[in-house]
Amino acid sequence: MTESSISNETALVARAESQKKISSRGKKAFLGGLILILALFPLLQFSVGSLNYWLHMLLYTFMYIAMASSWNMIGGYAGYTSFGHNVFFAIGGYFSGVLLVYAGLSPFLTAPLAGLAVMVFGLVIGLISLRTRGPAFIISTIAMIFLIKISFDNWDFIGGSNGLSLPLIQLPLELVKMPFYYGMLLIAMGAIYTSYKLRRSKFGLGLRAISQDETKAEVAGIPTSLYKILAFAISGLFIGMAGGLWGYYLTYLRPTIFLTILVATKLVLMSVLGGKGTVAGPVVGAIIFIAINELFRTYLGFTELNIVATGLLMVLVLLFFPQGIVGTLKEIGKLPRVLDWD
Amino acid sequence: MTHLVQVLLLGITLGGVYALMASGLTLVFGVMRIVNIAHACFMIAAAFISYWAFKLYGIDPILSILISMPVLFLLGIAIYKLLFAPIAGSTRYGELTVLLTFALALIMEGILGFLFTNTYRSTNPAYATESIIFGPFYLPEGQFYATLLSLGLIVVLWLFLQTTRTGYAIRATMQNRTAAQVVGVNVERISMVAFGIGTALAGASGSMMSFLFTFYPGKHWEWIAILLSLIVLGGMGSLIGALVGAFVLAISAAYVSFFFGPTWSPITFFLALFVILLFRPQGILGKKMEA
Repeated sequence: MTESSISNETALVARAESQKKISSRGKKAFLGGLILILALFPLLQFSVGSLNYWLHMLLYTFMYIAMASSWNMIGGYAGYTSFGHNVFFAIGGYFSGVLLVYAGLSPFLTAPLAGLAVMVFGLVIGLISLRTRGPAFIISTIAMIFLIKISFDNWDFIGGSNGLSLPLIQLPLELVKMPFYYGMLLIAMGAIYTSYKLRRSKFGLGLRAISQDETKAEVAGIPTSLYKILAFAISGLFIGMAGGLWGYYLTYLRPTIFLTILVATKLVLMSVLGGKGTVAGPVVGAIIFIAINELFRTYLGFTELNIVATGLLMVLVLLFFPQGIVGTLKEIGKLPRVLDWD
Repeated sequence: MTHLVQVLLLGITLGGVYALMASGLTLVFGVMRIVNIAHACFMIAAAFISYWAFKLYGIDPILSILISMPVLFLLGIAIYKLLFAPIAGSTRYGELTVLLTFALALIMEGILGFLFTNTYRSTNPAYATESIIFGPFYLPEGQFYATLLSLGLIVVLWLFLQTTRTGYAIRATMQNRTAAQVVGVNVERISMVAFGIGTALAGASGSMMSFLFTFYPGKHWEWIAILLSLIVLGGMGSLIGALVGAFVLAISAAYVSFFFGPTWSPITFFLALFVILLFRPQGILGKKMEA
């Protein structure tokens, strides 16, 4: 190899690297700008009049982004499909709700505690559920929903099946959605950041090895049981926090709101639609799913047809794009740089 | 004491029905490794067939299994061809099928809810409210017939699996899919037939559910949770395990209902599931298996 070609090559490598840097800088600028816009958006309320519908839709989307990203940590990275993650949501909601009703503590203070409580719960359930693999694990997550639902339905301290009414937040109408908006935005950012950090860590690598071939992963020295249980517990953290705020936002807690399997279904479908196992997938999936759902609700009306449409969408994605939007685009090399968060 | 024996009798007469409900689910899992989350939807669909047959033409719900079983068999075959045949051989088959049957459950629940609304229904033939009394004990007549018929159908299924060529092929596929293929079993066709038999069994149990329990489309989640717990407890893919699991749990649930009140009785199934996972993850009669 001549000297000139070597220097040529180093120049090429350097150029590729600098391009990468520019693109990652561009991505950072894009995401930073997006967060800034989302942070400033509610202030428009003071100049253009009520934006409460949009604030509601956005905070609802933030919540599902946080929850789908969390689900992805165990369901996507580790490949352990859970249909029971709404239990985490419910426990978070009831934890903060009960503290509000009986001790007068604001859920904005107790939501992080609710997240931690859910993590502890996840550890305990994970210790039992994750002794199994594949189908038996999925079944245990469905059983978990009913176990908790029957217990909550019959537990008078937390209102039983009638639920618990929470005091309204004392704010004027134009401000009432703001704390929830910023709260959910923070939770979503926290969940995405955790998901990103987790995927890049050795821990995340271990989880992905588990999803590929658990036996081989174990032989290779990965503490699979510990990793799975930890991932299951961590996936509860932000869902619990979101639940804590959501109960306060709705002003009542009822087992039928949190503990129907449809809530968990949404998390699964959002992740599958966007792309399981990628950082951006659940985010994209949540946004698209909520947009489609809102359209259906406007034009179809019937909740029954809505369920059919949800099921059909799931079948189509599974049969034709099992990698989801982000996964498929990535495979054919057409994924926009700003969405490549892995 | 009489009470305790009476509760035992009630548990036993439900156990047979649970066993029939679970047999189709465990058969489909054994042959295809498909956890059919939509199994209870097929039951509800059959219950609607029996409901309308009874309401419009006065056909007895027990006799209407002659309609619901073939209809559900064909429906199962069609769904197998549409959903599961295309993904056979996929590397993520197990995971995909769970998600697909889950989506199927949503679609069926939505369609049934759209057509028939979510009101509580049940058929009410004369025997649904009568009791057979002997000495100090009684047996609800409907439950008694349903359990006898269920056990009869399970025996027929067992004979079919033990004595016919298709039955051999199904059992061979359950034991070792690749080896069955090597010795010339058309595992694709066998899978389709087994799936159809599974949904037909759901059909029979759904017809009986129509007079034993109230039902509405959204009710299938509760049923599938119970049935799945039951087959995990018995050992997934084991028919005898499903039978044992059904009786053990039906009797336990009857006692829980007696001592703590009926609202707590379904929790027996889910608690039992977690207890069994803690001590014997492969179930009572299951073999240790790789996912």
